Amino acid sequence: MAPLLLAAAAEAASCAPMRLNDLGHLLQVMGTFLGLSLFSLGGGNTLLAEYHHLSVVQYCWLRPAQFADIYALAEAAPGPSSMIVGLLGMGAGWPEGPGWALLSAYGAEIAILLPSTLLMVVACLSWNRLRESPWRVAFERGLGPITLGILFAVGVKILQTADTNAPGVVVSLLVCVLMLRTRISPLWFMAVAGGLGAFGLINR
Amino acid sequence: MTESPAPAPTDAPPGLGQLFTGMLMVALSAFGGGLSAWSQRIIVEQRRWMSNEEFLTGLTVARLFPGPNQINMAVYVGTFFRGLPGALAALAGMLLVPFTLLMAIGLLYFQFHSLPALDRVLAGVVAAAAGMALSMGFKILDEYWKDPMALLLAAVTFVLMTFFHVRLVPLVLVAGPLAMAWYWPRRSQPGSPAGEPR
Repeated sequence: MAPLLLAAAAEAASCAPMRLNDLGHLLQVMGTFLGLSLFSLGGGNTLLAEYHHLSVVQYCWLRPAQFADIYALAEAAPGPSSMIVGLLGMGAGWPEGPGWALLSAYGAEIAILLPSTLLMVVACLSWNRLRESPWRVAFERGLGPITLGILFAVGVKILQTADTNAPGVVVSLLVCVLMLRTRISPLWFMAVAGGLGAFGLINR
Repeated sequence: MTESPAPAPTDAPPGLGQLFTGMLMVALSAFGGGLSAWSQRIIVEQRRWMSNEEFLTGLTVARLFPGPNQINMAVYVGTFFRGLPGALAALAGMLLVPFTLLMAIGLLYFQFHSLPALDRVLAGVVAAAAGMALSMGFKILDEYWKDPMALLLAAVTFVLMTFFHVRLVPLVLVAGPLAMAWYWPRRSQPGSPAGEPR
């Protein structure tokens, strides 16, 4: 794990933001998420590693710790956690002030949802024909295992980005097991771990 | 008037305003989780807009197509009654409150994240969230456990992304069609669901 963590740190240090004007920046954000929308397989969490690459490594919207924070906030907040895209957009627009940040947040969320929504509408209207199609069967069965592999890669990427001390990694692994073995609300895990952080037991 | 004839147990099909408020109720009820269970309770049991089978079909379509499952489900419900305008109304109802709240949280975060006290708490929360992220793959691992080809595909995908830093879009564009070809339903075994891979 250690060399991987170092690699993550090196990425961040070398990130230099591109200079664009306000509007150019907004269009860059929206174009980025428009292009990714149709790749959100398996409910959208498969995009998290790509979000990390774009916002931390490629465009320097966020520092690695901020990305980890935002992921945690989106998970803790009520509603679909895929709304993290709104927070990424907000991070991208923040240097231009809160007004642009909000505009960028709404733009990002609309951009990520628009193509998949349009496709979903078409799918609903033609479902009776699609249902028996071999394309549907092959898509469902073929993309499933790929989604599985991507989700594991995403888990490891978020763990690297969290970059906490040893007690923090132990808490991460413990939470992972509890998520699988119990039905306790994850909000409790985040509350308890937040307390451990406040007392300095977990740090980064 | 609508795309689908109203099935026996349902009342009059909802209009755009009703779709908006219905999904708003789902989103408000589901604060703290269980969104899919709440949408079933409200749409099928309370408002009786759809039969249970129609709802479950929606879950299948929502999971199959790209996009967040819960959001796709709202699109399905809206489209079912009012086409694209219905989908947008349902989506707006579903997202209005949670997204506004998230924007408030985000503005507070970007304003105050450098405060040491907040950063310390977040360091802990982030550790828990990383554990949640790690559990996502394990949650669906059981479905593939008896299919060696699926495990191989998943393992190759994982290694390419984690160790060779292959990006998502090229990965899906290359691996997706290969996997679809492997799992293409075969006619040789009539009666077996979707043809077992060799």
